[in-house]
Amino acid sequence: MIKLFKVKERQRELAENANGKLPIKKQSAGELRLHKDISELNLHKTCTLAFPNGKDDLMNFEVTIRPDEGYYLGGTFVFSFQISSIYPHEAPKVKCKTKVYHPNIDLEGNVCLNILREDWKPVLNINAVIYGLFHLLMEPNHEDPLNQDAAAVLRDNPQLFESNVRRAMIGGYMGQTFFPRCI
Amino acid sequence: MAESTVHQSRSRDLDKLLLRPGNLVAPTFEPGAQLRDDLQEYAKILVVGAGGLGCELLKDLALSGFKNLEVIDMDRIEVTNLNRQFLFRLEDVGKPKAEVAARRVMERVSGVNIVPHFCRIEDKDIDFYRDFIIIVLGLDSVEARSYINAVACGFLEYDSDDKPIEETVKPMVDGGTEGFKGHARVIIPGSTPCFECTIWLFPPQVKFPLCTLAETPRTAAHCIEYAHLIKWDEVHSGKTFDPDDPEHMKWVYTEAVKRAELFGIQGVTYSLTQGVVKNIIPAIASTNAIVSAACTLETLKLVSGCSKTLSNYLTYNGVEGLHIKVTEFVKDKDCLVCGPGVLLELDTSVTLQKFIDMLEEHPKLLLSKASVRHQATNLYMQAPQVLEEMTRSNLNLPLFELMGKVPRDIVHVTGTTSRDDKKASCLRKLCLVFKGADAVTDQDMAVGA
Amino acid sequence: MAEPKTKYDRQLRIWGEQGQTALEKASICLLNCGPTGSETLKNLVLGGVGSITVIDGSKVELGDLGNNFMVDESCVGQSKAKCVCTFLQELNDAVKAKFIEEYPEALVDSNPSFFSQFTLVVATQLAEDSMMKLDKICREANVLLIFARSYGLTGFVRNSVKEHAVIESKPDHFLDDLRLNNPWSELKRFAESIDLKVPDPVAHKHTPYVVILVKMAEEWAKAHGGTLPSTRDEKKEFKELLKAGMVAMDEDNYKEAIEASFKVFAPRGISSDLLQIIHDSCSEVDSNSSDFWVMVAALKEFIVNEGGGEAPLEGSIPDMTSSTELYVNLQKIYLAKSEADFLVLQQRVKSILKRIGRDPDSISKAMIKSFCKNARKLKVCRYRLIEDEFSNPAVSELQKYLSDEEYSVAMGFYILLRAVDRFAANYNSFPGQFEGELDEDISRLKTAVVGLLNDLGCNGSTVTEDLINEMCRFGASELHAVAAFIGGIASQEVIKLITKQFVPMVGTFIFNGIDQKSQLLTL
Repeated sequence: MIKLFKVKERQRELAENANGKLPIKKQSAGELRLHKDISELNLHKTCTLAFPNGKDDLMNFEVTIRPDEGYYLGGTFVFSFQISSIYPHEAPKVKCKTKVYHPNIDLEGNVCLNILREDWKPVLNINAVIYGLFHLLMEPNHEDPLNQDAAAVLRDNPQLFESNVRRAMIGGYMGQTFFPRCI
Repeated sequence: MAESTVHQSRSRDLDKLLLRPGNLVAPTFEPGAQLRDDLQEYAKILVVGAGGLGCELLKDLALSGFKNLEVIDMDRIEVTNLNRQFLFRLEDVGKPKAEVAARRVMERVSGVNIVPHFCRIEDKDIDFYRDFIIIVLGLDSVEARSYINAVACGFLEYDSDDKPIEETVKPMVDGGTEGFKGHARVIIPGSTPCFECTIWLFPPQVKFPLCTLAETPRTAAHCIEYAHLIKWDEVHSGKTFDPDDPEHMKWVYTEAVKRAELFGIQGVTYSLTQGVVKNIIPAIASTNAIVSAACTLETLKLVSGCSKTLSNYLTYNGVEGLHIKVTEFVKDKDCLVCGPGVLLELDTSVTLQKFIDMLEEHPKLLLSKASVRHQATNLYMQAPQVLEEMTRSNLNLPLFELMGKVPRDIVHVTGTTSRDDKKASCLRKLCLVFKGADAVTDQDMAVGA
Repeated sequence: MAEPKTKYDRQLRIWGEQGQTALEKASICLLNCGPTGSETLKNLVLGGVGSITVIDGSKVELGDLGNNFMVDESCVGQSKAKCVCTFLQELNDAVKAKFIEEYPEALVDSNPSFFSQFTLVVATQLAEDSMMKLDKICREANVLLIFARSYGLTGFVRNSVKEHAVIESKPDHFLDDLRLNNPWSELKRFAESIDLKVPDPVAHKHTPYVVILVKMAEEWAKAHGGTLPSTRDEKKEFKELLKAGMVAMDEDNYKEAIEASFKVFAPRGISSDLLQIIHDSCSEVDSNSSDFWVMVAALKEFIVNEGGGEAPLEGSIPDMTSSTELYVNLQKIYLAKSEADFLVLQQRVKSILKRIGRDPDSISKAMIKSFCKNARKLKVCRYRLIEDEFSNPAVSELQKYLSDEEYSVAMGFYILLRAVDRFAANYNSFPGQFEGELDEDISRLKTAVVGLLNDLGCNGSTVTEDLINEMCRFGASELHAVAAFIGGIASQEVIKLITKQFVPMVGTFIFNGIDQKSQLLTL
């Protein structure tokens, strides 16, 4: 199927104008899809984005959420997003950079959000993930805990939970754990 | 004279296929000694991966009339490779796979030249890949396949009728195995589906919910992933887990055993721990041999035309009996990677803003609020605000300049289309041609050179 | 971690220690070590078979350097068996490698008892008459046999053994054994102990679907005279009831229950495949019966008696949304039942052994256990003698394949692969083997094909001109890539036969190197 004589010709041509081509930077299919996701973002006013590596690296960015109601009102929570070159075949990797007292986010910043793990599907997008995170801050749930202590307090004593959240956000110790101020 | 008799005898069996006319062959097939010699001299082939498939591929290609091979692989030889990667010996453990594999095949098959590249596929310039007539893939990751696919499809150019221009077509032959199962496929960019057109063929890896790991573990794998994904960070603040460090692996295993005992769960073993953490895919010699042989045969047929070709995807399954199935997948005509894109002719003076306005008017596109990306650069982003601000200043610059003054190149645009009053977001590939730009570029080149 | 175990790690994950031990005990004999034979053995030596014996009477020629990786320039003029054996040995020093410089055809004639020392014989590139002779020898001596041949862009692989019984067939997708349509009393009691309407939402969403379905099925049966949902409407209604049981949208356990509800609707009892096995005449056992059939006889009794129509319970359950505690308890209940079933079956095996005059303990506990765990997945493969296939052809099958578009090319190659042997018997060379006689050979081969089709009882059928031409063009060449493919398949069949795991192919595999539409023909 390949015409070998054409290959021969081409090799001769290539030899003649070596250095003829500019180096091309390759963009992955993942980057293209991400470009679409990002340019279409429709963010709640409490959410902002930052691109620490400049405008051309969309694969690593940060989302900051400042809830305007709920337990976490007034706090500032930063989530890092890492996108793979085969996105959306693979879910974004998201971590919470702000230490938070939250039943579904552990002290290492792991987030229990179904669409980031078992329920990720390529039809989902970055908007859906950010919305999921926003929702998690609006309505923490004790049924799928990553931080068991926080989950137990939320379940058994929502008022205590509320004051614990305030205490952590203002900055200070909760048991053995120090929470830096995030208000 | 003596040399040529030796030469002929060596390809005793292959000559039957390459020197004789046939009935079920490609239209381009031109049998004869010239074909055999051209195959040896001009058909330069790249093998990506020197693992289970790569070792087989190098051997098979070297014994199928090809003499100019190169192989690229970033890995070093491990003990667990030895049950199938037959070019390696125990004393080779720790050495680069590409180098040892190339040497062993050259030692055995005289006259074959194999250039090894011990590096990542991303480390090579795009032009490195341009040199090969066919790229044969013996890989085990979706990422690497996707990368090579994007590179090979990147060379593809279409004519004004959206037909692929033959000289720019870089075919790929891809193989993959898992246990008793495998696949071999032929990708001819522009004609058959590319890897991205059919990425759904590779199911995403199953990931356990973190809260299951933390709260309701039920299986040995849950205990292992808890130790690996949650407990490790908790204990080793800041230290990254290294799956290739046996100390790290042992730590995860010990923690997983503790957790399994705590919950009354059976079945955590060191072997399973490695399997889960490294996502080990079981592999055996026979399946690799079958898949590589199919890939090699297709490579030989693509280059020589000595028979028909696989169209276009073969699956092999030897678990229950033997099942070989050939499926003809169709390409996605709007594929962002291999599709032709919409051709647009522009003046070199058109600004980015003007270009964006034009997209809204263009009858084929009707694209409003476009964001524009060229290669790895965002020329303009409508949202979010932070990116809009960072790219706004480009709007008044000529697009030709923003794109590095190349006469012709691909850009991708995202925006909203409205058809029949329905708004839909879409991502399109555009092929931009700047009128009268060739002369300008040549001049620039001359200055640069 | 000892080195050998690490070396085999990636295959141990497939066939386990037991499979590996079987391979390490096996002695393999290879007839003819061209590329097809060499590649077959290469894959087996890498996997660590016990020993190999390479038999070939030819010397290495220059042409062999172009298609066989197991020879190099220094080998030219030397014994091919010796050279190939030396290079194969380099791949794995744990394998005992021997060679005999002799033509296989001669050995088949002169020393038939020679083959009885092997576990398995791989016979490559043999002509028909030697194949038939060897087949009888191996069948008689109870030696596993695989034929493999590469020929231009075609070739075949065929297993030959009287009977191959598989306990660990390890199918890819097999319905789990949960008995949701037929729960036993302990499972029912466990389900009864759990309240589906538990007020705690965490407990509610962590009730395993097995419990939900057992309870809902029980409830349904009570309201429907003891029957389970069977019509489309009933099944739909049952699923609606499940949905109504949810208290929140995100309850994965209920979603799983709805998805798995077909397991409640499935008919009780054993599959038709298993039914066929227990009704096989071999299940009427006597003192000569194999362990497998003794266990099948016990299984048959179990199904009729204690099993109440079901095979022994497998005992494992898939992962499902659940609290750890409920899941682990459920696991224990399934395990206990499978253990109890095993004890019953073991007892039955012992009494059968006693009845047929054998040591009641002659079948190991581990073997019976594995049999119980895999009882629903048993497979029996049987192969005709080659001679029988040739002299007593399945005419209707042949005709069906010849006229089926999907199969006609493969069937054409089957005919042609046999026709070239007839040709060679007449003319002392294969069609197109030498230059200059191509046109004559084509018409001669055509005649051979017509003759063969007549002998097979397929008078009206033909093989296309194109295919006959191509076969002559191939000229008995052994291309490396084709040989590697055929050898790969042959070695994989060897592994399945020796490890007694997975299911070997039944029939003749015909390789189609033209468009890769290879087929398995059952003739």
